[in-house]
Amino acid sequence: MIEILQQIVNGIAIGGVYVLIALGLTTVFGILGIAHFAHGSVSMFGGYLTFFLVAGQGIPLVIAIPVALTAGVVLGMAIELLAYRPVRKASHINAFIVALGLTMMVEGLNLEFFGHEQVVIPTSFDRVFNIGGVTLPELRLYVILAAALLIAAMTIFVERTKTGQAIRAVAENRDAAILMGVNVRTIPLVVFAMSTALGVAAGIMVGALFAIAPGIGEGLVIKGFAVLILGGLGSIPGAIVGGIVLGITESLAAGFVSSAYKDVIAFLVMIFVLLFRPQGLLGKAS
Amino acid sequence: MKRTISTLAGAAVAALIAAQPVLAEETLAIGVSDALTGGAAVYGLPQANAVKLAASEINAAGGISVGGETYMLEVIAYDDKGNPTEATNAVRKLIDRDGVKYILGFCCSGATGAVASFIEYEDAVMLVGNAAERSITTREIPNLTRTRPPADYTGAAAGAFVAAKGHKRVAVLGALDVGFYASYVDAFEKELNKAGGEIVTREAFALKDRDMTPQLTKIRGLEADALLVVGYVEPAAFIYRQSVELGLDLPRYGFTSGSEEQFLRVATSEQMEGVWDLRPTELTLLSATENGIAYHENYAAAYGISPSPSSPYAYDQTYALKDALEAAGTVEDTAAVARALRELAVPDEVVMQYLPIDGKMFDRNGQAYTSNGAFQWRDGNWTFVQDLPSDPVAYSEFLSTLD
Repeated sequence: MIEILQQIVNGIAIGGVYVLIALGLTTVFGILGIAHFAHGSVSMFGGYLTFFLVAGQGIPLVIAIPVALTAGVVLGMAIELLAYRPVRKASHINAFIVALGLTMMVEGLNLEFFGHEQVVIPTSFDRVFNIGGVTLPELRLYVILAAALLIAAMTIFVERTKTGQAIRAVAENRDAAILMGVNVRTIPLVVFAMSTALGVAAGIMVGALFAIAPGIGEGLVIKGFAVLILGGLGSIPGAIVGGIVLGITESLAAGFVSSAYKDVIAFLVMIFVLLFRPQGLLGKAS
Repeated sequence: MKRTISTLAGAAVAALIAAQPVLAEETLAIGVSDALTGGAAVYGLPQANAVKLAASEINAAGGISVGGETYMLEVIAYDDKGNPTEATNAVRKLIDRDGVKYILGFCCSGATGAVASFIEYEDAVMLVGNAAERSITTREIPNLTRTRPPADYTGAAAGAFVAAKGHKRVAVLGALDVGFYASYVDAFEKELNKAGGEIVTREAFALKDRDMTPQLTKIRGLEADALLVVGYVEPAAFIYRQSVELGLDLPRYGFTSGSEEQFLRVATSEQMEGVWDLRPTELTLLSATENGIAYHENYAAAYGISPSPSSPYAYDQTYALKDALEAAGTVEDTAAVARALRELAVPDEVVMQYLPIDGKMFDRNGQAYTSNGAFQWRDGNWTFVQDLPSDPVAYSEFLSTLD
């Protein structure tokens, strides 16, 4: 029993990271219909930037994190303005190609500015808590709490604020939103700013818990899209449930079936869910 | 009159200088194919640096003297990312475009195996470094040599060592989809079984995995009495860190060949305390010879970072090539140079402590052997504790029986 609980706790921490990645992807996809493949690389940029500030400049982590998140907001808006806005009215394939090109570009920039070495964001959180035989490292606890906080903040923003209502309106029906006076030109900017900030937060978590290195972002974005499909395309609650389910499934699969096939098993579970709910766990049937 | 004498004297000096036999100074390009970026760069980049360091030392000492000509070495290094396709492309580019005949580096078995599959048909000599897959030197490829001993040669010695420590239930966590790591574990298991021990589980991870807590949680529930970690430095460092975070109180053994700096990027020294690394007796400052200490200092001065323990395999390749070229008396006849490599005594400048076979650095398979050693992490350093039981002559005979 302890082992199952331990595996679930292990899975929640990594699931929290998946949720943040997926939330960024799902808002962009749900509202703008763009498969933003560069999200993983942008997320790694956030992790690298935090590492640079903390390890290279000696800036405390509590200051480096908001700086990186702000940089994420600016980067997100720049991506929307410079990369996606020019092709917004073109065929979907154009945005697809832009997304691929952007991925390579951001990866290249990361490599150029931060080098090819694996880096780990240094923290001083090295205590380990033992709760009834289940161990929880301090850093993982903070990652879980921070992920929960960000998820709650985003949910409140989307559900309770006027801008959030506008975002939902554009996602539901863009034409109707225009008729209701929603400024649809600024919504994509807000969406990309929010999405990229969430990605940066995920990058910081990955960088502190594990490591940032070239290629890690690709794996993250694949998992993010898997969560999107599992939870339901464009569904924010779906991304939250899907991310946690994927994290825990991977952990349980590695612990009780085979570590060599944990990804395969996690994806098999995803396919199994989609057989019965093709719209995903919380997606709306079309 | 004075002016005439001084003019004549000047002319005489000029004539004397002109009459001196001038040694032609040529450039010999040597290639490096290695992982300069990506997950395997922790091994590949230090190897490429080591070749460049050796080449600059050789050049500073006057170059390579072959058949009355002096050659200065020029290193052309390409990034193969430790990937078979990239390595094939890199070597083709070196041979076909750059006209290189001597190719060094090769940290990774997959990439090395791909190049080894066609190098026999090329007018080139391949010197393999850190790649440990056994089959690289079982194919009797005449123009290929390797400085690092195969993984199972070390795995058997490690198994005997762990069994002698009294462990009966060993859990393995490793990059088991990589052939040479799997062969290390197989050889380890044979020796453990002989002593009545067993491997209770073989858990795997992939090169890019960094979260090992599911596997470690499982191992925690199996009541193993030791943990064996085989894999690249970075994931291994995460295993050591996360094993402490999970409260896994087991003796930890490994096969990673990472430097202190590489481990400390991920784990703290306290989390590493007591970990064993059972590997070829590679560079460790506390166990190094005079050459090793000089290499460490020169490498650190040149690149601003300590060399990885396995990087001297590539440094030693370069000196082996130098001696072979001088012995063969040609830079053009690669077959003659390959033969000279097989007949070579261990060069004076090498860093690793090789165990010659019949007085030669490489056996008839082109394989060199070092001793194996048990290193333990103590107070922030890998400390050499003892030699592991190894028999290179018997292993060389065994290697010759394989296809």
